[in-house]
Amino acid sequence: MTTRPLRYFAIAVFSASLGLAATIPRTADGKPNLSGVWQGGGVSLYGDAADGTQRTYAAPVNPPPKREPIPYQAWAEAKSKTFTSADDPTLRCLLAGVPRITSMPMPFEIIQTPKEVVIAYESFHAFRIIPINDKLQHPNDLVPTWMGDSVARWDGDALVVDVTGFNDKTWLSGTGSIHSEGLHVVERFQLNSDDTITYSATVTDPKVLTKAWTTGALLRRPPNTRVEEYECIENNQDVQHMEVKK
Amino acid sequence: MKIPIRNRLLIACSGLILSALPVLAHHSFAAEYESKSLVTVTGVITKVEWTNPHIYFYVDAKDASGNVVNWAVEGYPPNTLKRTGFTRDDLKIGDTVTVTAYKAKDSSSRLAGREVTFPDGSKKFAGPAGGAAPPTDAK
Repeated sequence: MTTRPLRYFAIAVFSASLGLAATIPRTADGKPNLSGVWQGGGVSLYGDAADGTQRTYAAPVNPPPKREPIPYQAWAEAKSKTFTSADDPTLRCLLAGVPRITSMPMPFEIIQTPKEVVIAYESFHAFRIIPINDKLQHPNDLVPTWMGDSVARWDGDALVVDVTGFNDKTWLSGTGSIHSEGLHVVERFQLNSDDTITYSATVTDPKVLTKAWTTGALLRRPPNTRVEEYECIENNQDVQHMEVKK
Repeated sequence: MKIPIRNRLLIACSGLILSALPVLAHHSFAAEYESKSLVTVTGVITKVEWTNPHIYFYVDAKDASGNVVNWAVEGYPPNTLKRTGFTRDDLKIGDTVTVTAYKAKDSSSRLAGREVTFPDGSKKFAGPAGGAAPPTDAK
């Protein structure tokens, strides 16, 4: 026979588990349902309308990790400083890479199935088809690419995405945030009860960094938004403007 | 079932860590424009490019010497504008508009548009605020 405190504890645990289930949407197989249109920020998530009113939000229940400076090795730090914003690959409409793509001020849609998760980004028409594979096994024929190769597994309620196979042409975040082909990114997508996703990305690159670097974002659902076409090169005068400045 | 209020109370920060976003979505605003001083231009729209990665519209306005300058006004990408309620049909060739904007650092006749006042007096934002604090002469 259980004692009263133990019984209360068991009831509390049971209630908490029910509460978790009730507060986030789940798929038929019980996983958090990440599907939908999300955005990491920008233009106040479309509240900056005619009168300049910006949307405001309650504090998130699960804030993302605080971003620290990138821990570069000395040579890499020096090299990083040789770049200006005119060198930004995205200025030329090139793919933003991971994790930077998540910070672009444009929406993306997550389409989740039991076997794979697809992310379709408005920015630069990027897409990722991410197989769910508990061993996080990448193909053995990878050649370096802008967005790398992604595989995922569920860690409890968090979707963990392992990304490797990058080229060395993207930036991690701001101006000059270089990396090597040894870049390895581990992302976590955690759906929260306040209808946000806490996104974090842990970046390792032993050739360039002294230790792992973590960044993150709080993803929200921009209202009345669908992912649309963004043909960046269409009228891209920015390279010319920025090169005049350089 | 209640959202855990306790967690909310414990959290002080607002969460957007990736806040150092390129303000014009695609390139560095601060590198290209004088981000702390606004200018106001009133003139006639001569051309509209509702294009990516940024829209441009062109406005004929007289400078202090009475010479007509054709200003190129850059704004957000079309999708972004549409989502804030600024549509392609809002910019009509021949309309007289007033634009508050930031001048290009290279002294060209390019502007980063901020607020547009249309012929009926209504106002919409074409692009971002440049400085950390909203300029006092923005209206």
